[in-house]
Amino acid sequence: MKKIAKDQLALLWEKIDQNYQLFLPIAKEKAVNFSTWKEGAEVDLDALRTVNSPKNIIFPQTETYLTFKKEGKKLGLEVVSRDEEYVVFGVRPCDVASFKLLDNVFLGEPVDKFYEENRQKGLIISQACLNPEETCFCNAFAINPESAPVGADVATWDLGDLLLWEAQSEKGKAFTEALSDLLEDVSEDDRKKLDEVKAGIKDKLEDLPLVHVAPEKIEGGLKEIFASEVWDELYQRCLGCGMCTYVCPTCHCYDLKDYNGNGCGERFRCWDSCMFSDFTMMAHGNPRTTQKERVRQRFMHKLVYYPNNYESYACVGCGRCTERCPVRLDIVKVIKKLGGERNEL
Amino acid sequence: MSCSCHADPLVPVVAVVDNIRRDTADIKTFQVKKPEGGLPFIFKPGQCAMLSVPPLGEAIFSITSSPTQQEFLEFSIKNVGKVTDCLHQIEVGTEIGIRGPYGNNFPVEALRGKDLLFIGGGIGLAPLRSVINYALDNRSDYGKIDIVYGARSPEDFVHRNDLYQNWVEQADTDVHITVDREFEGWNGHVGFVPQYIEELNFSSDKTVLVCGPPIMIKFVLEVLEKLGFDQKQIYTTLELKMKCGIGKCGRCNIGDKYVCKDGPVFRCDELGKLPDEY
Amino acid sequence: MEKIKEEIRQIAREALTGKKVDIILAWEKGPLWYDSYPAFFTKEEEVDSLTWDSFCINNLSKYLLEETMADKKVGVFVKGCDALAFNQMMQDNRIRRDNVVVYGLPCPGMIDPDKVRAKRLNRGLTEVKQSGDELIFVTKDGEITVPAHEVYYDKCLYCHYPNPVVYDQLIGEKVAAETALDRSERFSQVEALEALSAEERFAYWDSQFSKCMRCFACRNVCPACSCERCTFDDDDLDILGKAREDSEDQFFHLIRAYHVVGRCIDCGECSRVCPQDIPLEKLNRKLIKDINALYGEYQAGLDPSTKAPLVTYQLEDADSFTAGEKGGKGT
Repeated sequence: MKKIAKDQLALLWEKIDQNYQLFLPIAKEKAVNFSTWKEGAEVDLDALRTVNSPKNIIFPQTETYLTFKKEGKKLGLEVVSRDEEYVVFGVRPCDVASFKLLDNVFLGEPVDKFYEENRQKGLIISQACLNPEETCFCNAFAINPESAPVGADVATWDLGDLLLWEAQSEKGKAFTEALSDLLEDVSEDDRKKLDEVKAGIKDKLEDLPLVHVAPEKIEGGLKEIFASEVWDELYQRCLGCGMCTYVCPTCHCYDLKDYNGNGCGERFRCWDSCMFSDFTMMAHGNPRTTQKERVRQRFMHKLVYYPNNYESYACVGCGRCTERCPVRLDIVKVIKKLGGERNEL
Repeated sequence: MSCSCHADPLVPVVAVVDNIRRDTADIKTFQVKKPEGGLPFIFKPGQCAMLSVPPLGEAIFSITSSPTQQEFLEFSIKNVGKVTDCLHQIEVGTEIGIRGPYGNNFPVEALRGKDLLFIGGGIGLAPLRSVINYALDNRSDYGKIDIVYGARSPEDFVHRNDLYQNWVEQADTDVHITVDREFEGWNGHVGFVPQYIEELNFSSDKTVLVCGPPIMIKFVLEVLEKLGFDQKQIYTTLELKMKCGIGKCGRCNIGDKYVCKDGPVFRCDELGKLPDEY
Repeated sequence: MEKIKEEIRQIAREALTGKKVDIILAWEKGPLWYDSYPAFFTKEEEVDSLTWDSFCINNLSKYLLEETMADKKVGVFVKGCDALAFNQMMQDNRIRRDNVVVYGLPCPGMIDPDKVRAKRLNRGLTEVKQSGDELIFVTKDGEITVPAHEVYYDKCLYCHYPNPVVYDQLIGEKVAAETALDRSERFSQVEALEALSAEERFAYWDSQFSKCMRCFACRNVCPACSCERCTFDDDDLDILGKAREDSEDQFFHLIRAYHVVGRCIDCGECSRVCPQDIPLEKLNRKLIKDINALYGEYQAGLDPSTKAPLVTYQLEDADSFTAGEKGGKGT
């Protein structure tokens, strides 16, 4: 295990930036998002939760993958290749876990090559959560916010003036090696302090108000839950915006569209939302005519359909929808309404 | 920068529209092949392909030709939206993008030796035609073939040559066509497809392949049940809005199944296990 | 508010049991301290979970759209700003007045959870009680009293209409309409932007809009955005591309701002719900300020019988085509 003094971090950013595109939680006009680091950027490692999840890096909201050119009856198509290698620093354990959920979809057969390339070119550095917030419920999905999460190449812990650093993957080890002039070995004292901090986080977790969320307590089969009366009530306040789906680290529905530039143009992939009325609209009708069907689809997908296909819930308890939904129709309320709550810890 | 080695499933290849036939006022059948000739890919009856007409985007269509047709793929396309309207405007020789094949297929191997009953309505004949032609091209592998087809009016029949000539000329093959209501000069059967099935009173040992408007399918299934058909003998093919064709973009699901990947062909007892949202 | 809550519950129960209405639109409390959200009550026994506290920020008028409610008779609770929204939607012919019973709630102001978090009052917080001009934060470790104006939404501090301007029945006593901050102050941020050069101003908005995720929460929460089918949703029109592209994001916000001009009641819901904290209210206030300057003071939603300045024409109206006159380019 290594460490770096936090006042040395600017040097670390600079060094990483020389060889990689570096993404960090950066505050811009009051909102903290993962953005490309530039000198003078307002890095905010204390922000527990970025507005946009780091999904935006491995699965960008908009990405061009094809260009086309029309000349008379001729059509030319060219694939657009990816950007340079990148590093994402400060990914919280819940968001690291979300990458695996996206992998299940995009790396399953047939493999999405664009996504695969995005993943291969990235190096993920996690940051443990010292102060989980009241809207956090990652424990419901067996995620440990104090941990070094599986899927992170390097795991880090913020101990106030120090940042502890543990390389986990081969890629992470090579990367750590290349930064050896900035990282030093930890002392026995540092390790002890880390253990204390970790234990403290566990205590804090048990005090959180949403600690009783337990999706596995939801009873009934797919068709039963689908036909449940709870949907008749739950959807009513939904405004039909797409915020929950866009800030969600596990929502992955997309659209493919063309951009027309007078004979030539681009084809891009962009996020889409099952909350939007036109999501399933066809020329001859729409199987989901009201917001009830759309709300039901979103939560059935996360709590029933996705688990049926990938043996895991499509939620990591990051709390973004809990914090952001304008009418507080978040997944916690849905899980509870469906009976997914335990009385004892 | 470009890279030709990229085999992402979302990337189309260029194909050329080799022939266009007008079937009805709003349906045309397109023959598509590689610019140098031949099929862009190998497929099975019932599968679909995504056609691209930049800058209007893509839309998914079932392949209406049989894999036994090695020269070209055929698509029967109704003009209902932006992409289909653009396709209806293009001329022979125009290049388009194509990717596929997508989805599962009708189980042509498992159907060997069986009597087949095809039930189609309107443009719904398109995916069935691929299997019909496949079975007829391997005639000795299959038993009696009945084709029931209905459309709103005599002008709305697709694949007229097949309905009136190619199929009827085949051994042990009957074609039963009907229109929704009386038309001047029409001497054939009048009435909706479900009614006609009931009148024809097919024996319930046949395997049924049905495709058409959702409302037609619903009533056909009721009639078949009445006639004693088991749900396991009935296959249908579905269509929902699709973008990726590979079960990832998330919009064509019925419950936990994606029509583009786990379908479009469903056996009716399997479909019965899914929520009614299609 | 505790007393009013009981009164509201009683009214709701009576309205439902007496079949005066089919649905009561009010608020319900979730598991977290700030978690009050819109709720639809149809049965008397459900009313026990109805709440009224300093977090009932959601405007329920938005749910009264004709097609949403069909022919149902609805009882709705409205705060001051919600009442302006109600009137504006009436004026836009989007609510059937006969089908709605409006219960007016004088509003002391609503708490901004972000301000509570900024003061670190949220740790172990279980409840917030109102006591005159002060708020009592009940935490696991005891009670903390804070002057209410320190944690109310900015928009509440400028609010001139805390008492509903429309109602069938008013609940409780009217509150003082004096604003905590000088009402003209709400334009000070607009003036600061006006003082910038065009390049600086563009840079400011460019930076703000670059955060937009195009989730449409601002539009969907807006009481002036009540079109049956939003022009941005019409795929065939292709007015708005789906790509997250700076120019498209800017067009979206500017077109929307111009579409609600003269109908924006300045409730600030667009800013409140924006996940990226884009100060959309500045855009709307700029247009309100210009309307005030060009056509005289106007508050949308105040009186549905008056004609809005941009849908009426008077000879003495500002004329942008005559050199030296006010309006348009010359100013």
